[in-house]
Amino acid sequence: MTRMYHHLPVDAYTSQDWFDREQRLIFSRTWRYAGLAEDVPEPGHFISVQAGLNNIFIVMGRDHRLRAFHNICRHRGTQLIRAVGKTQKALTCPYHDWTYDLEGNLISVPDEAKEYPNGIDKSCLGLKPASVDIWRGMLFVHPDPNPPSLADWFGAVDPLLGPHKPEELVEYPDARRSYEIKANWKIVVENYIDVYHLSHLHSNTLHMYDHAWAEYGWKGLHYHFWEPPAPEYAKNLEKNLPTPRAIPEPHIGAWVPMLFPGIGLGAGEDSWNIFIITPLGPDLTRVENRTKLANASGWEFQKQEWSSWSFWKDFGGPKYPDGDATGEDDPMASGDFTAEDIYACEQQQKSLTSPYFEVGPAANGESPVVGHQKAILGFLETQETGS
Amino acid sequence: MNPNFFSLRIAEIQPEIKGKATSVIFDLPANLAETFRWQAGQHVTLRFHLNGTEQRRSYTISNPPGAPLRITVKRVVDGMVSNHIGDHLKPGDMIDVMPPFGQFSLSPDALNRRTHYFFGAGSGITPLFAMINAVLEEEPHSVAHLIYGNIDDGSIIFHNELGKLTAEHGSRFTVRHVLSAPSMWRSISPWRKGRVDAGLIKDAIAETPPVAQDVQYWVCGPGTMNADVKDALMALDAPASRIHMESFGGGEVAAPSVIGVAAKAKVELDGAVHDVSVAENETLLNAVLSAGLAPPFSCQSGVCGACKARLTNGQVHMRARMALEDSDIARGEILSCQSVAASDELSISFDK
Repeated sequence: MTRMYHHLPVDAYTSQDWFDREQRLIFSRTWRYAGLAEDVPEPGHFISVQAGLNNIFIVMGRDHRLRAFHNICRHRGTQLIRAVGKTQKALTCPYHDWTYDLEGNLISVPDEAKEYPNGIDKSCLGLKPASVDIWRGMLFVHPDPNPPSLADWFGAVDPLLGPHKPEELVEYPDARRSYEIKANWKIVVENYIDVYHLSHLHSNTLHMYDHAWAEYGWKGLHYHFWEPPAPEYAKNLEKNLPTPRAIPEPHIGAWVPMLFPGIGLGAGEDSWNIFIITPLGPDLTRVENRTKLANASGWEFQKQEWSSWSFWKDFGGPKYPDGDATGEDDPMASGDFTAEDIYACEQQQKSLTSPYFEVGPAANGESPVVGHQKAILGFLETQETGS
Repeated sequence: MNPNFFSLRIAEIQPEIKGKATSVIFDLPANLAETFRWQAGQHVTLRFHLNGTEQRRSYTISNPPGAPLRITVKRVVDGMVSNHIGDHLKPGDMIDVMPPFGQFSLSPDALNRRTHYFFGAGSGITPLFAMINAVLEEEPHSVAHLIYGNIDDGSIIFHNELGKLTAEHGSRFTVRHVLSAPSMWRSISPWRKGRVDAGLIKDAIAETPPVAQDVQYWVCGPGTMNADVKDALMALDAPASRIHMESFGGGEVAAPSVIGVAAKAKVELDGAVHDVSVAENETLLNAVLSAGLAPPFSCQSGVCGACKARLTNGQVHMRARMALEDSDIARGEILSCQSVAASDELSISFDK
């Protein structure tokens, strides 16, 4: 009998087959996060991104419009461009110097008359176009040149994502990091949207927000979540914010949605963060974090740090006090909610291969976990039946 | 399209820019609503009998679909019809009107997410105004940027209406006025003085670069403005498929010829001058090669610039010009592999 993990078979979290199927049907057929808009700041700049099975690059033309193409030379398939860079007007494959203009047209084949004495129809050998768009200050790519628009894809959930204007905020480079979690990507998503665990795993790290008043739900495939500041924190909120406000008053609370597939956002009164989940293998997942803060002076940041110091100096701490921790590097003693989450995900993944694994009943606060499983099943079904 | 005329009653006459233009609003009876359904940017043809002759004129509908059927007619000096409209029409008059048609139209879609750049001058605003309204009302995820050229602030049609749209749609609509001869006592400070030219277009786009990446350019102005704006956009590598235009007030602009003519060329190479005959539609490089000469060249695609020459007499048409900057072209540089003759005599030099 298939062992189940709520709505999905346990296999969905451990097998190469499921991983391949999700890569093909989910991550290669949807809009993928590709970076922040400022990663391609000027005409001629380009970046490439792996989006499921597709490697797609984005380049800005002199008209300031972004173009996206599959990063495959039409000659022998060589990846045309490397991770990031800058060009003038053309893209040349390093292998045989086939050259394309920024519209993807093949414009030059060296020694054309000698190498192709019967002629070569360059007009049929342009780069394969993909799509790119900017939404909430983020770059998104889609492998199809005519995909449903981002207005179509994110439109319904957009009003529930908070009043932030990421394009007006400034990246805080020290917070940028990328790390791997030894767990299936769905375990990482489910942990992100599990409301039940907030008060327990993070009993001593995220209690500035009031999980009892969280409002959450689904708009199609996308999950939305908002919760208010806890009374202690809210009492002197403007004083207690660690950095200057990133959204105007009177907006308060934390918006922590999970957009499909694996695009987490986390935004509060004073910051806007992304949490991009990329599957690397059945039991290995990469997470990329970036943070944006208010576009305020160093002096404003200094003043806010001083004013909030008295709230934060005694705030939080390890989940387990010294005596219960296994050592200094025990994540349960870190006082860092990310370390707590990584630990929980990896400990969970370890059990999935045990013949004795059996999942317990889902709690009310775990309804998003079950909801995500249904979203996966539903999306795979529509992709496979083509409906 | 329906080629028949229908008699419509004028509901309202509204003078614009102190009587230099006239808006005419028609009553549209319910049974004609479907026949007269239009897309933003389309026009109607009006028929008059003046001084014993039939006169037909096409005018753009200056309202978005759903609003009253309105045309806005700028007076032409000594123009028989435009002055008749401005001087003699009154509410209640019946006018022969042919239903809307035209390829220059913008169909809004609520799920489209586009950046629309509008470049207009003078009465070219009429279709653009309808399109801008259609975008702001029917395409909520899209933005519109208008760059609008006029002689002075007194000649800006829909000045107040545009100001109102800016106030209502702040983040989704910008307007930049360009005045060629602003008066001393002007009531507005234009974004720029001069004409809507290449440098100005480049600045405008850099100032408000597209966020939504489905970018469309809509151009409507008199005389050579359309061709000039299109050239400027294409010099920025904007694809022709995204540039939409309609000529206004100055008749059709002839499309630049892309067929090369047969020509006699004087070719300077390595200090000697050779007479070379160029066949119809032959590139200068091929003609020079056929004459047994050895000019520099490489990619033959307009990319590398190796075949660069200087045009000292006559005219050529270049099919592609990627290896050249505008400033190179201004100095007379051409890519011989991409040039066909546009005059029957020309001189080029491969020497520095």
